[in-house]
Amino acid sequence: MILRGVAVLAAALVLAGPAAACVNPRTSLNALEGEIMCPTCHTTLDQSDSAAAHRIEVFIQHRIDACATESQIKADLVANFGAGILAAPPRKGFDLLAWWLPLGGVILGAVAVAFGVWRWSRARGPDEPPPASGLDAETERRLDELLARLD
Amino acid sequence: MRTVKLTGQIVALAAVAGLLGLLVWRLTHQSTPPKIGGPAPAFSSKRVDTGGTLDLASLRGKPVVLNFWASWCGPCKGEAKTLEQAWRQYKSQGVMFIGVDYHDVTGDARRFLAHHDITYPTVQDGSGMIADRYGVSAVPETYFIDRQGRLVGEHIKGTVAHQKDAFLRGVKAALGS
Repeated sequence: MILRGVAVLAAALVLAGPAAACVNPRTSLNALEGEIMCPTCHTTLDQSDSAAAHRIEVFIQHRIDACATESQIKADLVANFGAGILAAPPRKGFDLLAWWLPLGGVILGAVAVAFGVWRWSRARGPDEPPPASGLDAETERRLDELLARLD
Repeated sequence: MRTVKLTGQIVALAAVAGLLGLLVWRLTHQSTPPKIGGPAPAFSSKRVDTGGTLDLASLRGKPVVLNFWASWCGPCKGEAKTLEQAWRQYKSQGVMFIGVDYHDVTGDARRFLAHHDITYPTVQDGSGMIADRYGVSAVPETYFIDRQGRLVGEHIKGTVAHQKDAFLRGVKAALGS
Protein backbone atom coordinates (compact mmCIF):
# COMPACT_ATOMS: atom_id res chain seq x y z
CA MET A 1 0.00 0.00 0.00
CA ILE A 2 2.81 2.36 0.95
CA LEU A 3 4.71 1.43 -2.20
CA ARG A 4 1.64 2.16 -4.31
CA GLY A 5 1.26 5.58 -2.67
CA VAL A 6 4.91 6.40 -3.35
CA ALA A 7 4.53 5.35 -6.99
CA VAL A 8 1.46 7.59 -7.47
CA LEU A 9 3.27 10.49 -5.80
CA ALA A 10 6.31 9.99 -8.04
CA ALA A 11 4.14 9.88 -11.15
CA ALA A 12 2.34 13.07 -10.05
CA LEU A 13 5.66 14.81 -9.49
CA VAL A 14 6.94 13.73 -12.90
CA LEU A 15 3.75 14.94 -14.59
CA ALA A 16 3.70 18.18 -12.63
CA GLY A 17 7.35 18.84 -13.43
CA PRO A 18 7.00 20.58 -16.78
CA ALA A 19 4.03 22.70 -15.59
CA ALA A 20 5.88 23.80 -12.50
CA ALA A 21 8.86 24.75 -14.66
CA CYS A 22 6.86 27.59 -16.21
CA VAL A 23 5.40 30.00 -13.66
CA ASN A 24 4.40 32.63 -16.23
CA PRO A 25 3.29 30.95 -19.48
CA ARG A 26 4.05 33.10 -22.52
CA THR A 27 0.91 32.20 -24.42
CA SER A 28 -2.27 30.16 -23.99
CA LEU A 29 -4.07 27.37 -25.78
CA ASN A 30 -7.05 29.71 -26.31
CA ALA A 31 -4.84 32.22 -28.08
CA LEU A 32 -3.41 29.60 -30.41
CA GLU A 33 -6.45 27.46 -31.15
CA GLY A 34 -7.83 29.92 -33.70
CA GLU A 35 -4.49 30.20 -35.50
CA ILE A 36 -3.72 26.52 -35.96
CA MET A 37 -5.47 24.24 -38.43
CA CYS A 38 -6.62 20.70 -37.83
CA PRO A 39 -4.85 18.88 -40.70
CA THR A 40 -7.52 16.22 -41.15
CA CYS A 41 -10.65 18.40 -41.01
CA HIS A 42 -9.32 21.68 -42.50
CA THR A 43 -10.83 23.91 -39.82
CA THR A 44 -9.07 25.68 -36.98
CA LEU A 45 -8.51 23.69 -33.79
CA ASP A 46 -11.18 25.61 -31.88
CA GLN A 47 -13.79 24.43 -34.40
CA SER A 48 -12.64 20.83 -34.56
CA ASP A 49 -13.47 17.88 -32.40
CA SER A 50 -11.32 15.34 -34.24
CA ALA A 51 -8.77 13.06 -32.61
CA ALA A 52 -5.93 14.64 -34.59
CA ALA A 53 -6.94 18.13 -33.41
CA HIS A 54 -7.09 16.91 -29.82
CA ARG A 55 -3.55 15.47 -30.04
CA ILE A 56 -2.25 18.75 -31.45
CA GLU A 57 -3.93 20.65 -28.59
CA VAL A 58 -2.21 18.34 -26.10
CA PHE A 59 1.12 18.96 -27.85
CA ILE A 60 0.56 22.75 -27.73
CA GLN A 61 -0.35 22.60 -24.03
CA HIS A 62 2.84 20.66 -23.27
CA ARG A 63 4.90 23.29 -25.09
CA ILE A 64 3.07 26.10 -23.22
CA ASP A 65 3.83 24.30 -19.96
CA ALA A 66 7.47 24.23 -20.99
CA CYS A 67 7.39 28.06 -21.35
CA ALA A 68 7.60 28.04 -25.16
CA THR A 69 6.59 31.23 -26.92
CA GLU A 70 3.85 31.42 -29.55
CA SER A 71 6.40 31.66 -32.36
CA GLN A 72 8.39 28.70 -31.00
CA ILE A 73 5.25 26.56 -30.83
CA LYS A 74 4.27 27.56 -34.35
CA ALA A 75 7.77 26.74 -35.60
CA ASP A 76 7.56 23.29 -33.97
CA LEU A 77 4.19 22.66 -35.58
CA VAL A 78 5.41 23.79 -39.02
CA ALA A 79 8.45 21.50 -38.68
CA ASN A 80 6.11 18.60 -37.90
CA PHE A 81 3.12 19.27 -40.15
CA GLY A 82 4.34 21.74 -42.78
CA ALA A 83 3.28 25.36 -43.33
CA GLY A 84 -0.33 24.28 -44.00
CA ILE A 85 -0.83 23.86 -40.24
CA LEU A 86 -0.97 27.66 -39.86
CA ALA A 87 -4.38 29.25 -40.43
CA ALA A 88 -2.73 32.37 -41.89
CA PRO A 89 0.54 32.53 -43.85
CA PRO A 90 3.56 34.04 -42.07
CA ARG A 91 4.08 37.80 -42.62
CA LYS A 92 7.53 37.43 -44.13
CA GLY A 93 9.27 36.41 -47.34
CA PHE A 94 7.18 35.17 -50.24
CA ASP A 95 4.17 34.55 -47.94
CA LEU A 96 3.93 38.32 -47.43
CA LEU A 97 2.38 38.46 -50.91
CA ALA A 98 -0.72 36.70 -49.56
CA TRP A 99 -1.26 39.70 -47.25
CA TRP A 100 -0.44 42.49 -49.72
CA LEU A 101 -2.03 41.17 -52.93
CA PRO A 102 -5.68 41.44 -51.75
CA LEU A 103 -5.01 44.96 -50.43
CA GLY A 104 -3.34 45.87 -53.75
CA GLY A 105 -6.34 44.45 -55.60
CA VAL A 106 -8.79 46.53 -53.56
CA ILE A 107 -6.74 49.73 -54.10
CA LEU A 108 -6.41 49.01 -57.84
CA GLY A 109 -10.16 48.35 -58.09
CA ALA A 110 -10.99 51.59 -56.24
CA VAL A 111 -8.67 53.56 -58.55
CA ALA A 112 -10.28 51.92 -61.63
CA VAL A 113 -13.81 52.73 -60.39
CA ALA A 114 -12.83 56.34 -59.55
CA PHE A 115 -11.23 56.77 -62.96
CA GLY A 116 -14.30 55.32 -64.70
CA VAL A 117 -16.65 57.67 -62.80
CA TRP A 118 -14.44 60.65 -63.60
CA ARG A 119 -14.38 59.78 -67.32
CA TRP A 120 -18.13 59.16 -67.42
CA SER A 121 -18.92 62.52 -65.77
CA ARG A 122 -16.59 64.37 -68.15
CA ALA A 123 -17.99 62.67 -71.28
CA ARG A 124 -21.58 63.47 -70.27
CA GLY A 125 -20.98 67.21 -69.68
CA PRO A 126 -22.97 69.47 -67.35
CA ASP A 127 -25.51 71.07 -69.82
CA GLU A 128 -26.16 68.21 -72.11
CA PRO A 129 -29.86 68.02 -73.15
CA PRO A 130 -31.74 64.92 -72.11
CA PRO A 131 -31.67 62.15 -74.71
CA ALA A 132 -34.39 62.30 -77.42
CA SER A 133 -37.24 59.81 -77.19
CA GLY A 134 -36.60 58.58 -80.73
CA LEU A 135 -40.27 59.11 -81.71
CA ASP A 136 -41.32 61.27 -84.63
CA ALA A 137 -43.35 64.43 -84.05
CA GLU A 138 -46.68 62.90 -85.13
CA THR A 139 -46.32 59.87 -82.79
CA GLU A 140 -45.32 62.14 -79.91
CA ARG A 141 -48.39 64.35 -80.51
CA ARG A 142 -50.68 61.29 -80.50
CA LEU A 143 -49.04 59.91 -77.36
CA ASP A 144 -49.56 63.28 -75.58
CA GLU A 145 -53.22 63.23 -76.64
CA LEU A 146 -53.66 59.71 -75.27
CA LEU A 147 -52.00 60.59 -71.98
CA ALA A 148 -54.17 63.75 -71.71
CA ARG A 149 -57.29 61.65 -72.24
CA LEU A 150 -56.19 59.25 -69.51
CA ASP A 151 -55.81 62.15 -67.10
CA MET B 1 -6.37 59.56 -73.26
CA ARG B 2 -5.92 56.71 -75.77
CA THR B 3 -2.70 55.64 -74.08
CA VAL B 4 -4.45 55.47 -70.69
CA LYS B 5 -7.26 53.38 -72.20
CA LEU B 6 -4.80 51.02 -73.87
CA THR B 7 -2.77 50.64 -70.67
CA GLY B 8 -5.97 49.86 -68.76
CA GLN B 9 -6.93 47.22 -71.31
CA ILE B 10 -3.46 45.63 -71.16
CA VAL B 11 -3.53 45.55 -67.34
CA ALA B 12 -7.01 43.97 -67.34
CA LEU B 13 -5.94 41.41 -69.93
CA ALA B 14 -2.79 40.56 -67.94
CA ALA B 15 -4.87 40.11 -64.77
CA VAL B 16 -7.30 37.75 -66.54
CA ALA B 17 -4.37 35.80 -68.09
CA GLY B 18 -2.75 35.53 -64.64
CA LEU B 19 -5.93 34.19 -63.04
CA LEU B 20 -6.39 31.75 -65.93
CA GLY B 21 -2.80 30.58 -65.47
CA LEU B 22 -3.43 29.97 -61.76
CA LEU B 23 -6.56 27.97 -62.58
CA VAL B 24 -4.69 25.82 -65.13
CA TRP B 25 -1.81 25.27 -62.68
CA ARG B 26 -4.25 24.23 -59.97
CA LEU B 27 -6.06 21.82 -62.28
CA THR B 28 -2.89 20.23 -63.61
CA HIS B 29 -1.36 19.86 -60.12
CA GLN B 30 -4.34 18.16 -58.50
CA SER B 31 -3.38 14.72 -57.26
CA THR B 32 -5.32 11.85 -58.74
CA PRO B 33 -5.42 8.52 -56.88
CA PRO B 34 -3.00 6.00 -58.41
CA LYS B 35 -4.37 3.01 -60.28
CA ILE B 36 -3.74 -0.62 -59.39
CA GLY B 37 -1.17 -1.88 -61.90
CA GLY B 38 0.31 1.59 -62.26
CA PRO B 39 3.50 2.87 -60.65
CA ALA B 40 3.42 3.45 -56.91
CA PRO B 41 3.81 7.21 -56.24
CA ALA B 42 7.39 8.00 -55.26
CA PHE B 43 8.31 9.55 -51.93
CA SER B 44 11.28 10.21 -49.74
CA SER B 45 10.71 11.18 -46.13
CA LYS B 46 12.25 11.40 -42.66
CA ARG B 47 12.09 8.26 -40.59
CA VAL B 48 10.17 8.34 -37.33
CA ASP B 49 11.69 5.21 -35.78
CA THR B 50 15.31 6.23 -36.32
CA GLY B 51 17.23 9.08 -37.91
CA GLY B 52 17.74 9.53 -41.62
CA THR B 53 15.35 9.30 -44.53
CA LEU B 54 13.75 6.51 -46.49
CA ASP B 55 13.29 6.67 -50.26
CA LEU B 56 10.71 4.31 -51.75
CA ALA B 57 12.87 4.06 -54.88
CA SER B 58 15.61 2.42 -52.79
CA LEU B 59 13.26 -0.53 -52.20
CA ARG B 60 12.86 -1.32 -55.91
CA GLY B 61 13.26 -5.07 -56.36
CA LYS B 62 11.50 -5.82 -53.07
CA PRO B 63 7.79 -6.39 -52.45
CA VAL B 64 6.47 -3.61 -50.18
CA VAL B 65 3.50 -3.37 -47.83
CA LEU B 66 2.74 0.32 -47.27
CA ASN B 67 0.56 1.08 -44.26
CA PHE B 68 -0.79 4.58 -43.53
CA TRP B 69 -1.54 5.12 -39.86
CA ALA B 70 -1.58 7.67 -37.03
CA SER B 71 -1.21 7.45 -33.27
CA TRP B 72 -4.58 9.24 -32.77
CA CYS B 73 -6.37 6.66 -34.94
CA GLY B 74 -8.27 4.02 -32.96
CA PRO B 75 -8.41 1.28 -35.63
CA CYS B 76 -4.64 1.71 -36.21
CA LYS B 77 -4.07 0.48 -32.65
CA GLY B 78 -6.20 -2.55 -33.42
CA GLU B 79 -4.17 -3.57 -36.47
CA ALA B 80 -0.68 -2.79 -35.12
CA LYS B 81 -0.15 -6.27 -33.69
CA THR B 82 -1.37 -7.99 -36.89
CA LEU B 83 0.99 -5.92 -39.03
CA GLU B 84 3.99 -6.55 -36.79
CA GLN B 85 3.29 -10.30 -36.78
CA ALA B 86 2.94 -10.30 -40.59
CA TRP B 87 6.21 -8.36 -40.93
CA ARG B 88 8.03 -10.91 -38.79
CA GLN B 89 6.48 -13.69 -40.85
CA TYR B 90 7.22 -12.30 -44.32
CA LYS B 91 10.52 -10.43 -43.92
CA SER B 92 12.47 -13.68 -44.51
CA GLN B 93 10.84 -13.73 -47.98
CA GLY B 94 12.17 -10.26 -48.70
CA VAL B 95 8.91 -8.37 -48.09
CA MET B 96 9.42 -4.85 -46.70
CA PHE B 97 6.79 -3.29 -44.47
CA ILE B 98 6.76 0.52 -44.36
CA GLY B 99 4.60 2.57 -42.01
CA VAL B 100 3.59 6.08 -43.06
CA ASP B 101 2.71 8.22 -40.06
CA TYR B 102 -0.09 10.50 -41.24
CA HIS B 103 -0.77 14.01 -39.81
CA ASP B 104 0.75 13.07 -36.47
CA VAL B 105 2.89 14.55 -33.72
CA THR B 106 6.25 12.78 -34.01
CA GLY B 107 6.58 12.26 -30.24
CA ASP B 108 3.17 10.56 -30.14
CA ALA B 109 4.15 8.39 -33.12
CA ARG B 110 7.35 7.23 -31.38
CA ARG B 111 5.42 6.33 -28.25
CA PHE B 112 2.94 4.38 -30.41
CA LEU B 113 5.76 2.45 -32.11
CA ALA B 114 7.36 1.62 -28.76
CA HIS B 115 4.06 0.67 -27.13
CA HIS B 116 3.06 -1.68 -29.98
CA ASP B 117 6.62 -2.95 -30.47
CA ILE B 118 6.66 -2.04 -34.15
CA THR B 119 10.04 -2.92 -35.64
CA TYR B 120 9.57 -2.16 -39.36
CA PRO B 121 10.58 1.28 -40.72
CA THR B 122 8.14 4.17 -40.41
CA VAL B 123 8.33 7.50 -42.21
CA GLN B 124 6.83 10.84 -41.29
CA ASP B 125 3.99 12.35 -43.31
CA GLY B 126 3.02 15.28 -41.12
CA SER B 127 1.82 17.43 -44.02
CA GLY B 128 -0.11 14.53 -45.60
CA MET B 129 1.74 14.93 -48.92
CA ILE B 130 2.49 11.20 -49.33
CA ALA B 131 -1.09 10.31 -48.38
CA ASP B 132 -2.38 12.80 -51.00
CA ARG B 133 -0.30 11.09 -53.70
CA TYR B 134 -1.86 7.75 -52.81
CA GLY B 135 -5.37 9.19 -52.51
CA VAL B 136 -5.64 8.27 -48.83
CA SER B 137 -8.77 9.80 -47.32
CA ALA B 138 -8.65 8.24 -43.86
CA VAL B 139 -6.36 5.99 -41.86
CA PRO B 140 -5.63 3.14 -41.70
CA GLU B 141 -5.09 2.28 -45.37
CA THR B 142 -2.71 -0.33 -46.77
CA TYR B 143 -1.18 -0.64 -50.24
CA PHE B 144 0.88 -3.41 -51.83
CA ILE B 145 3.76 -2.74 -54.21
CA ASP B 146 5.51 -5.40 -56.31
CA ARG B 147 9.21 -5.74 -57.12
CA GLN B 148 8.80 -3.53 -60.21
CA GLY B 149 7.37 -0.70 -58.11
CA ARG B 150 3.76 -1.19 -59.28
CA LEU B 151 0.68 -1.11 -57.08
CA VAL B 152 -0.85 -4.58 -56.93
CA GLY B 153 -3.69 -6.38 -55.18
CA GLU B 154 -6.50 -4.31 -53.78
CA HIS B 155 -5.68 -1.54 -51.38
CA ILE B 156 -7.26 -2.05 -47.98
CA LYS B 157 -9.33 0.72 -46.44
CA GLY B 158 -9.73 0.20 -42.71
CA THR B 159 -7.97 -2.21 -40.43
CA VAL B 160 -6.18 -5.22 -41.91
CA ALA B 161 -7.01 -7.16 -38.74
CA HIS B 162 -10.59 -7.44 -40.04
CA GLN B 163 -9.60 -8.08 -43.68
CA LYS B 164 -6.97 -10.77 -43.33
CA ASP B 165 -7.87 -12.54 -46.59
CA ALA B 166 -7.53 -9.36 -48.62
CA PHE B 167 -4.27 -8.66 -46.79
CA LEU B 168 -2.84 -12.10 -47.63
CA ARG B 169 -3.91 -11.71 -51.28
CA GLY B 170 -2.15 -8.35 -51.35
CA VAL B 171 1.09 -9.72 -49.89
CA LYS B 172 1.02 -12.63 -52.39
CA ALA B 173 0.40 -10.23 -55.28
CA ALA B 174 3.37 -8.14 -54.12
CA LEU B 175 5.49 -11.28 -53.92
CA GLY B 176 4.34 -12.20 -57.43
CA SER B 177 3.08 -15.60 -56.34
